[in-house]
Amino acid sequence: CRCRALLSGPAGALRARRGLAAGPEMHFGFQTVTEEERREKIYQVFENVAKKYDVMNDSMTLGIHRVWKDILVHKMNPCPGTLLLDVAGGTGDIAFRFINYVRSVRQRQLQRKLKHNQNLSWQEIFDSYQKDQFNSLGDSQVVVCDINREMLKVGKQKAQHLGYSEGLSWVLGNAEELPFDDDKFDVYTIAFGIRNVTRIDLALQEAYRVLKPGGRFLCLEFSHVSNPLLSRLYDLYSFQVIPVLGEVIAGDWRSYQYLVESIRQFPPQEELKAMIEDAGFFKVDYDNLNFGIVAIHSGFKL
Amino acid sequence: VKCQHYPPARALQASAALRRASDEHKKEPLTSSSQQHFDSPPAGHQPEQEPQGPHPSYTGQGGQQSEDYESEEQLQHRILTAALEFVPEHGWTAEAIAEGAKTLGLSVAAAGMFHSDGSELILHFVSECNTKLSKLLEKEQKLVQLGEAEKKPIDEFLRDAVEARLRMLIPYIEKWPQALSILLLPRNIPSSLNLLTSMIDDIWHYAGDQSTDFSWYTRRAVLTGIYNTTELVMMQDSSPGFEDTWRFLENRVADAMTMSSTASQVQSTGEAVVQGLMGAAVTVSN
Repeated sequence: CRCRALLSGPAGALRARRGLAAGPEMHFGFQTVTEEERREKIYQVFENVAKKYDVMNDSMTLGIHRVWKDILVHKMNPCPGTLLLDVAGGTGDIAFRFINYVRSVRQRQLQRKLKHNQNLSWQEIFDSYQKDQFNSLGDSQVVVCDINREMLKVGKQKAQHLGYSEGLSWVLGNAEELPFDDDKFDVYTIAFGIRNVTRIDLALQEAYRVLKPGGRFLCLEFSHVSNPLLSRLYDLYSFQVIPVLGEVIAGDWRSYQYLVESIRQFPPQEELKAMIEDAGFFKVDYDNLNFGIVAIHSGFKL
Repeated sequence: VKCQHYPPARALQASAALRRASDEHKKEPLTSSSQQHFDSPPAGHQPEQEPQGPHPSYTGQGGQQSEDYESEEQLQHRILTAALEFVPEHGWTAEAIAEGAKTLGLSVAAAGMFHSDGSELILHFVSECNTKLSKLLEKEQKLVQLGEAEKKPIDEFLRDAVEARLRMLIPYIEKWPQALSILLLPRNIPSSLNLLTSMIDDIWHYAGDQSTDFSWYTRRAVLTGIYNTTELVMMQDSSPGFEDTWRFLENRVADAMTMSSTASQVQSTGEAVVQGLMGAAVTVSN
C-alpha cells in the first residue's frame, strides 16, 4: 500500500531512494524492505516474467523500447574490435543490436578496403578475402551478464532462434560484484537494469573497475518527466494500464506493479549524474528521450 | 594497487597513469614499487630515491598530482593530435579518432567523447595549422627586426604566407575536400569562420597593416577571397609540386595589387575631373 511507505519517515525514504543502504531499510516499489529481502523479491519478479519479458515490453511501451535501444547503440557508435559488457542484459536486446551494428560497420570497412585494392593481383585479392571472410565482426565481442538464470536462459534461446552465435557469451553475475578482471572492457551498458540493483553506488564502482582507461559507461533507464501535463498522463498510464496488461498477458499483476513503482523511486537525471561522477567517471552527460520518460546517461573512465 | 582519489583536484587517473607508464618506458613490476612504499613512511613523503629520476611514483601518492594533472580538454587535444596520423587512411572520421585513442593506450570507446562526423578533428587541425603559421610569421618578423633579413614587399609577403599555410594541407590533400564539406555544415560554420577570419587577420597584422578606415575590411575580404580560391584550385591540382596552384596564387595577388592602385588612380582622376568641371562652371558663370 502506498500510504504505508510515505509514513515510514522521510529520512529513511531519502536514503533508500539514493540506493545507499545506510540501514537495513530499502524500498521495493513503494514498500519498505531489508536489503536481502529486496534482492530476493527482485530475483523472483524477473524469474516470473522472464518468459513473457519481451512481449510485455512491446505491449507496455507500444514497441517504442526498440527505438530507445537502437538509439543507445547508435550513441555508442561502436567500431569493430570493441569489447562490450552488457550488464542486466537478460534477454540480449542490446547485445544483438550491437552485433548487427558492428557487422554493418565492418562490411563498409571491407568494401572501402576493396576499393583501394584495385591494382592488386587476383591472388592477393583472394588472400585478403580469406583473411576477412572469417572476421565478419572484426574481433568485436559482447558479454551478456545477468544475475537471473531464467533471463539468461530466455536470452540464449532467443540467440539460437535468431542465429546469433559469433562473438557472444553469457555469464551469470551480480552487477554489484562483477566476475571480471580490472580494465577489461571498452564499453559497459546497463539498459533498464540499474533500477533493480540494490546498491547503485557499488554497481557504478564495479563499472568503473572493469572498464579500460578511456572506456565508456552507458546507462539507459526510465527517468523523471518534468513536464507536468505529460507527467500526469504518464502516471495515469503507468498505474492504471500497465498492471492490468501484466495480469492479462503475463498473468502477474504484482510484478508489474513493482515495475511502475520502482520507476517512481529511482533517482532523477541530475541525481544519477552526480552518482556517476562520484564513482569517478568524467564527461558525464545525459540525453532525455521522450521528454524524460527515458534517459541515457554516459560517462568516460579517463 | 589502486590509484588514490583526491577530491580537491580531480586529476584524470587512468590517462595520467598511462602517460607515466609511456614516459618512463619501462614498466617496473608493481609489487616492487609498492614494496618501496611500505618501507618508507607514506604521508607526504616524496620518494625521490628511485633510479628512474624525477618522475613521480607509480602509485601516485604524495604531492605529485600537480605534475600529472591534466584537464579533459588537454586529453582531448592529445587524442586529436594522435588521430591526425590516421587521417590519410580513414579520413576525417570517428574511426581515425578511435585509432588515435588506441595509440595513447586508451580504449577505442574514447572516440565517443567527440561528435561522430569528425568535426572536432578538423577544427583541431585547422587551429593547429593557424598556430603554426602565426609562429612562422612571428619568427620572420623577428629576423627582419634584428636586421638579418630584408623586409619583403607586400605582395611577396602575402604570397609566401598563403603558400606556407596551404602547404600544411599537403599530407592530407586527398581527404581535404571531405574536410571542407564538413566545415561548411551549419553546425560548424561559426567555428570554422572564426578560425578563418583570425588567420587572415594574423597575416595582415604581420604584413604591417595598421589601417583604421574602411580599407581594414576590404583588405581582409580580398585576402580571404584569394585564400579560399587558391585552396579550391589546390584541391584539383595535379601538377608536380602544385606549381599551378602557386602560379594561380601569384596572379591573384598581383591582381589585388593592381586593383588597389587602380582604385586610387580612379579616385584621383575622379577628383581631377570634378575640379575641372567646377572650374568650367565658374568660367561659364563669369
